[in-house]
Amino acid sequence: MFLRLVADSITRRPRRKLLTAAALSLGMAVATAALGVSLDVGDRLAREFRSLGANLQVTPQADSLPLEIGGVDYRPVNAGAYLPEADLPKLKTIFWHNNIVGFAPMLEVTADFGVRGGQSTSFVTRGQTHLVGTWSAHRVVLPDGSDFVTGVEKTNPWWSVDGRWFAENTNECVVGVKLASRANLHLGDQLYVNVPDPAKMVQLFAPCIISGLLSTSGPEDEAVLLPLARFQEIARKPRQYRKLYVSALTKPEDDFGRRNPSTMNAADLERWMCTPYISSIAYQIKEVLPGADVRVIRRVAEGEGQILTRVRTLLWLVTIASLLAAALAVGASSAASVMERRMEIGLMKALGAGSGAVGFLLAAEQLLLAFVGGGVGYSIGIVLARIVGQKIFGAAPEPSLLILVVVLGLAAGVTLLGSAIPLRRASRYEPAPILRGE
Amino acid sequence: MPATPMSNRAMFWRIIRRLLGANRGRLFVILLALGAGAAVTAALLNLQVDAKRRLTTEFRAFGANVAITPRVAIDSTSQAETLPDSDYDKVPTVPITAGGKSAFLFSIGQVRSYGSPHPIPVVIAGLREEGVTSAVLAPFQEVGQASRSEPYCFVGNKVAAQLRVHAKDRLFLLEKNSELTCRISAVETPGGENDSNVIVGLDAAQRLTGLRGRISLIRVSFPGTPLQVNDFIELLSRLLPDADVHGIRQFTEGEAKIYNQISGVLTATVVVVLLLTGLCVMAAMTNVAMERRNDVGLMKAIGGATRRVLRLFLAEAALLGLAGGVLGAAAGILLSMWLGKAVFGVAAQPRLIVYPVAVGLTMLVAIAGALPLRVLANIRPASVFRGEA
Repeated sequence: MFLRLVADSITRRPRRKLLTAAALSLGMAVATAALGVSLDVGDRLAREFRSLGANLQVTPQADSLPLEIGGVDYRPVNAGAYLPEADLPKLKTIFWHNNIVGFAPMLEVTADFGVRGGQSTSFVTRGQTHLVGTWSAHRVVLPDGSDFVTGVEKTNPWWSVDGRWFAENTNECVVGVKLASRANLHLGDQLYVNVPDPAKMVQLFAPCIISGLLSTSGPEDEAVLLPLARFQEIARKPRQYRKLYVSALTKPEDDFGRRNPSTMNAADLERWMCTPYISSIAYQIKEVLPGADVRVIRRVAEGEGQILTRVRTLLWLVTIASLLAAALAVGASSAASVMERRMEIGLMKALGAGSGAVGFLLAAEQLLLAFVGGGVGYSIGIVLARIVGQKIFGAAPEPSLLILVVVLGLAAGVTLLGSAIPLRRASRYEPAPILRGE
Repeated sequence: MPATPMSNRAMFWRIIRRLLGANRGRLFVILLALGAGAAVTAALLNLQVDAKRRLTTEFRAFGANVAITPRVAIDSTSQAETLPDSDYDKVPTVPITAGGKSAFLFSIGQVRSYGSPHPIPVVIAGLREEGVTSAVLAPFQEVGQASRSEPYCFVGNKVAAQLRVHAKDRLFLLEKNSELTCRISAVETPGGENDSNVIVGLDAAQRLTGLRGRISLIRVSFPGTPLQVNDFIELLSRLLPDADVHGIRQFTEGEAKIYNQISGVLTATVVVVLLLTGLCVMAAMTNVAMERRNDVGLMKAIGGATRRVLRLFLAEAALLGLAGGVLGAAAGILLSMWLGKAVFGVAAQPRLIVYPVAVGLTMLVAIAGALPLRVLANIRPASVFRGEA
């Protein structure tokens, strides 16, 4: 009998039920889309922030003071300490190895360069410049046998090359645009570089062929970049580097993240290590690179953390506001659908149904509507969230079961709440005046 | 049926009054639905404009985004070019509070602590800066006020570790033949750009190096959308034709990308939410309007023309929309101010244009929700009274 009453109420006036269900599903679609986007956006944005490049810098611990002006180190090659390149694959063995987006070692020296003109063997242009040996699309063989391709494209994504990057194991090089225009160099030209060796009488210049012109708006616009392995030979520093840039995906630091790990107890330390804070990743890198000093590039890391936190809060608040609005509209709609049935309620009570039975019947109907409407709304919302995600980030958010549960729960709660108020009033009605139409 | 327009109108409003007042519960429900829609419309529209603007200021957490360097001559191979420091004064003061500008003079000199006879080479940076946020000196933990009588210096974390000096110690700076004594007013926390530098006042650095009135770099932190930053760079290039003005691409490019994405997410979310909220409110309104079939039947039975009846209900819907909109939009603007305060620490500025727009949209939705009543025009009054359909 109960089921028949419910089924009858729905089949008898399908249009009205359809409208209530439509309001419900639209409201729930708002909720799903907003939830879907804001759950997903934090991770997507964190990845986008990596377009700012490296947020960690590794230097030798026993180093002398770098004499850096505008990003160019003016120390001679024999000053300061170096780090072994052989340790680098260990970076991908730390707990947060999946968060390491890329890394690139650099060996920088201010040294001589020369350009030969035409057939002559002497240099027409000769001067000092900043020579950098680094990786570009370098294949690192990890301890577990797999490969990881990384290089300056990952750590300095704003660098753009006209032409192409040098290939490893060749005598190609990339020249900064300002140096190129100053020394009148073009793609395919030959350039000679040398790191002066005070022990030798005759300085031998090594040739390289320009494969690309680099523009960075930074000091590299004046530099010559070579494959690391080749530059290590030229600089007589085999298998060594001076600086390492690491780009890592991180969680914005909160008060807990900023605490000093050496003052934590074991449980806190474990929690700290198992959160991808920039400082805990730095700590873990330091553990696998002996003799290295790992520093957070604060300008990048702090700005990122601050903005990410803000944007996340903003989107959550927008989500909550729209959930609230959807809930109010849906609640109003279901309240209206109960109110119009005063006659019916009166009749049922006149026939001997108690307030509880009537309430139960109406609640069951509303719940049925809520689940149908919530389900439909969820599918609409997921599609919308996909469109938004695809358009803006080029990747759709994963539909999550959590959202479905939240949305169905919300739909049920809101419809019940919306119908509770008119139902309570209805339970106080005397059947007779209602049936008389008063 | 001759009726004066006057009494006609009075009757019209009387019916409307009765329609609205007949069922207070119903009235409350409709106002709730419409008000919620209006509130979310007003809040999101207001917040959207404000948040985008606020974001550009937030990006200045990255520091400077424009650099002005000396133009390196075609034939020159040295990098020790400088700019006249009048160029610094020519950089217009950045209008919005989050910006700032700083001038640097770099040189490689030597530094020695008070107790040690051995100087070590170090980069000495002369600094002068203006702006609300002291971008360069922010990482320095200020220890005490620098005394006026003695030049102050800020020491990078690595320098301090190497020299084993602390705040309030004395340092000797040497450059070629001149010397400068300064007292350390702060040591930088690790990770900053000036980790391995000693920073002194610009005047002191100019005296030390003998480069009076010269600077080697100007950095400007300019808050704005990517387009505004480009305009600003163009303006600077015109003002300083002899210098090389360029955006710091690491930040300008990354920021442009991220800004576009965040504002895209915001706009998309707002559009989706507004659209769906509108539809949702409309569905609720339609539901309510359909209840009126009995009224329509009665009015038609006693001789109301279909158009007049319909006009009555549309007027009712418009009035409800107005009331819901006025209340809801006000609540929404308050909500957005609070949201702005919660996110950015500064209450979002209420934009007056948002208010009429939100009220108008709400009325539109309310009227659109009542439009299905047109279907009722073909209803035969008799069948309604018989309780059919």
